[in-house]
Amino acid sequence: MLQKREAEKQFEKHIKEHELLIYKICRIYAYTDADRQDLFQEIVIQLWNAFPKFKGDSKLSTWLYRVAINTAITGLRKRKDFIESYDHAALPANISDENSIHLEERLLEMYKAIEQLNQIEKAIIMFYLEDKSYEEMEEILGISQGNLRVKMNRIKEKLRNLTNKH
Amino acid sequence: MELDDLKQTWKQSETNKNINTDIMNMIQHKTYGPVAALKKEFRKQIIVMCLLPLLLIFTNLDDISKPLTSILFWAYVLLCAGIVVFAYFNYRIANRMSVMDESIKPNLEKQVNTLETRIQWKIIGLRIALIFLIVLTEIVPYIQHYSMLDKWHSLSPFIRFSAYAALLLFQYFVGRKVIYRKFGSHLVYLKDLIREMD
Repeated sequence: MLQKREAEKQFEKHIKEHELLIYKICRIYAYTDADRQDLFQEIVIQLWNAFPKFKGDSKLSTWLYRVAINTAITGLRKRKDFIESYDHAALPANISDENSIHLEERLLEMYKAIEQLNQIEKAIIMFYLEDKSYEEMEEILGISQGNLRVKMNRIKEKLRNLTNKH
Repeated sequence: MELDDLKQTWKQSETNKNINTDIMNMIQHKTYGPVAALKKEFRKQIIVMCLLPLLLIFTNLDDISKPLTSILFWAYVLLCAGIVVFAYFNYRIANRMSVMDESIKPNLEKQVNTLETRIQWKIIGLRIALIFLIVLTEIVPYIQHYSMLDKWHSLSPFIRFSAYAALLLFQYFVGRKVIYRKFGSHLVYLKDLIREMD
């Protein structure tokens, strides 16, 4: 009982430290507050289930990314991608406050373009936005660095085409 | 807009979290992913298959010797026990599927292999169960009398065996389709994910 409570405390501490990481995954894979809340909860539950098996062979953040992305791409199949339309209100607050409407529109376009990527491309683009190295991406995704570089170029091209279409 | 322009905004995005992050409360909830759904289904199978023979005994409490001396009852118990063992085996497989301690791609490949094996075993299991029931239907009248089987056995062997063959064929084509409709879509989805990673 005491051990369980200790584990819970430790887990909570880890999650609080990496809360933003999970939140960002939710943002890439779900586009309304309700969907993000569902995905956030699902990821936390999966992390909690996997926590006793975490041996520390990899960095905690690497393990967290693995479980969280795995959950995001496979765990909520029933509701497909659960993306219906982009929630305008969910855009970062600073954009509407500080920048012009034009920039906001362009940003929205970019998010909509990301929305059209496949599940794996979304993960890659998120790592790119997070400034992750190809080495780290390889460790998390299990895709070779060479393949990742090719994919990254294709994704950038794809996003460019998608945003130009609008 | 170029992707790099988004980076800055992305990094500042922590200012807009409309998510409840009560971790301790969250871990009390149940997961609703596909693996959890599989596990739930197997748990349900185990419980139902354990209860069914007991229910049969309960409905025959006035003459308990009736079910206990019936070959059909014991064959049914055997079938239920087989399904329980099978469901337990599957439950353990699903448990292994929920472990995510590898990189994403190998983990997905493992899940696909596990699901394919599971579906294959289910198809084989159902076929064995059907053959078992057919053999039982043919053998039982030689051992014990069941009026419900009289009519069936009054038919010519040609008709009976044609019906069995039709049943097996039906199970071969339709059963496979039903199983794939239930789990196959998830399997196809996982395979697509792996393809996207190649």
